[in-house]
Amino acid sequence: MNALLTLTIANIRSFTRDRTALFWTFAFPVIFVLLFGAIFSGGGSTRYAVGWVDQDGTAASAELRQAFAQITLLRLHDGSLAASLDAMRQGNLQAVVVVPHGYGAAIARSAQVIAGRTSGAAAPGGSPAPGASATPGGGAVHAGLVAPSLAPAAVELQVYTDPSQQSSSATIRQIVSQVVSSLDLALTGRPPALGVSDRTLQSQRLTNAAFLVPGILGMALMQLGVFAAVPLVAQREKLILKRLNATPLPRWTLVGSNVVLRLLIGLVQTVLLLGIGSVVFGVTVLGAPWLMALVVILGALTFTSIGYVVASFARTEESANGIVQVVQFPMMFLSGVFFPIEIMPAVLRPVAAVLPLTYLGDALRQVMVGGSAYAPLPLDLGILAAWLVVCLGIAARFFRWE
Amino acid sequence: MARGADCSGGRSGLNAELQEPVIEVDGLRKRYGDVVAVDGIGFAVRRGEIFGLLGPNGAGKTTTVEILEGLRKPDAGTVRVLGIDAARAPERIKERIGVQLQTVSLYPFLTVTEVLDLFRSFYRHSMPTAWLLEAVELGERRDAQTRHLSGGQRQRLSVALALVNDPELVFLDEPTTGMDPQARRSLWSLVQRLREQGTTVLLTTHYMEEAEQLCDRVAVMDHGHVLELGTVDELVSRRFRERAVHFETLPELDLRELGDLAGVKRAVVEDGQTVLYTADVGATIGALLARTEALGLEPRNLGIRRATLEDVFLDLTGHALRE
Ligand SMILES: Nc1ncnc2c1ncn2[C@@H]1O[C@H](COP(=O)(O)OP(=O)(O)OP(=O)(O)O)[C@@H](O)[C@H]1O
Ligand SMILES: [Mg+2]
Repeated sequence: MNALLTLTIANIRSFTRDRTALFWTFAFPVIFVLLFGAIFSGGGSTRYAVGWVDQDGTAASAELRQAFAQITLLRLHDGSLAASLDAMRQGNLQAVVVVPHGYGAAIARSAQVIAGRTSGAAAPGGSPAPGASATPGGGAVHAGLVAPSLAPAAVELQVYTDPSQQSSSATIRQIVSQVVSSLDLALTGRPPALGVSDRTLQSQRLTNAAFLVPGILGMALMQLGVFAAVPLVAQREKLILKRLNATPLPRWTLVGSNVVLRLLIGLVQTVLLLGIGSVVFGVTVLGAPWLMALVVILGALTFTSIGYVVASFARTEESANGIVQVVQFPMMFLSGVFFPIEIMPAVLRPVAAVLPLTYLGDALRQVMVGGSAYAPLPLDLGILAAWLVVCLGIAARFFRWE
Repeated sequence: MARGADCSGGRSGLNAELQEPVIEVDGLRKRYGDVVAVDGIGFAVRRGEIFGLLGPNGAGKTTTVEILEGLRKPDAGTVRVLGIDAARAPERIKERIGVQLQTVSLYPFLTVTEVLDLFRSFYRHSMPTAWLLEAVELGERRDAQTRHLSGGQRQRLSVALALVNDPELVFLDEPTTGMDPQARRSLWSLVQRLREQGTTVLLTTHYMEEAEQLCDRVAVMDHGHVLELGTVDELVSRRFRERAVHFETLPELDLRELGDLAGVKRAVVEDGQTVLYTADVGATIGALLARTEALGLEPRNLGIRRATLEDVFLDLTGHALRE
């Protein structure tokens, strides 16, 4: 125990006295968050200009418009479909929402169904139960979001977005689906509970920064773990590991102290990024702190084990550095950390589906900002754990101390 | 500092163990690819002695030492260290041995004291940091990070790390490489102090003077073989029978009066010293003292010189140890 403590302290000292390593570990993610946050116009203060095309013209559709108008992030501009799409092509609108003909009738139908099911506890105002179909400019992708309570044929809201404006498009689609599902919630007959509408409000403010902060935290934890290979290989190359092997120090202590160091660094990075997220971008953690801690720790462990795998096969510090880059660089861009996986080219999506960072980013996003899920949280954690176990097995088999 | 009555738990049958060699090597072999680094060597090191491994570069010294330390696995042969099979159960010897590797490896960003304290925490018993600093004369640099130490200072710290656990057996692989003459001498006296406490030392060296000064016995290695083993005196006298008795007198003696002394083969004067080459040192000195007394003279700076280890080396390996 004493050895574990002194070794961990020695590792912390070595780490903090190495200014270069310190800078890259902490300044890099911070710069990233600030830079990306700024580039993607995050800030939370921007408002999106959204074209509003009402082809239905009923009381129900007017009511829907009102619901959207309440969202401060959106500025609605009424117009015909053709005119609105024109405006969007010219860059004056960032998205166009179309309420199709027959919307009011469908709402009325499903209100009856619900009324029958819930013994007359009708939703106030007979709110609609629409689905939203997000149709990016190309129009091919149909990311339909159908509310679960909708048994009968629902009408779909169409959302046109510009694929070249990835982050604002993602945000707008996010907002639309939030509004739709909250209306849907109202339709199921439960009175709009205060807690629910609070959460909805938070989620409605899911800005670019809210998308980016969890992603960049995931990226930082990934790098932290994978880069563990470099000092490890350096210590082996400098024969420090060999020298330690000549002492009675148990190997688990050596590994343990390295892992503790990584976890501590991960903790500091998390606090740092969450601090910036909240102060600069107003992104706060919605989920339970213990859940947040669980995700961060599991993520740091998983990627550290990948670092150990790299260290098992790299012979020199330089080659370790090279392999680390080969591992971390594509992962950074293929895991939906900076933009949603749904907008990635179809060929790359299966790659994203196996990368652990995809699931860490997704888990963090769900826990931190209640973002829409790529996979259910337990699946995210399960896949991270599976990576951890496999990598530990490989490292245990192939790692060399000398 | 008190050895003898200390730690080293479970020393049962103390007497039996005192008889038993601290290191026993038999038929040891190790190859790397098609390089045979150690080719079937055997030797034993007794408790409390300073044993030297000498040999030119690539002779197999480091390989042998690191097998004894449990850091490398032999291909064949047996190695018993402190009565334990070092190849099978290296974990059991680590608490009791001290290791200084040929290549110094230290945490670059830690200070001297921090490195010592770190290593102290690995052992159940350890020497005080202040003692260790004093032993290798690094007190002045105690707060310097190791990356800022000079080569010789790093070497000294590396030696101190080998002594952290007050070991029964210390391995020093070229401990004085890179040290200035003063540091070298102070390390020699440290090693001699260790022997006085009963510590066994196995060291490798390229310095003949070091082996002559320090080692009770030496093994000369080359190409993975032990060529010769014994005390320095034995090694030298096995190959070079004649010795030189040298002295000064005032006034100088006539060489013709000395040529007929018992055992003397040749008599010369070198730098004002009279030198008698003899096959029988005892007889020659006895006769010389009788002769000078008869002449009313007193020989001063009387001494015996022999061929050196260096000569043995050249003779054995065909090339000088140090280029
Ligand atoms: N890890 C290794 N891999 C391959 N060959 C090795 C390895 N270690 C040593 N050798 C080879 O084994 C032989 C003996 O090396 P060793 O280091 O034991 O010699 P040494 O007597 O300590 O030499 P020096 O005086 O230069 O330190 C050399 O030919 C060396 O090249
Ligand atoms: Mg060597």
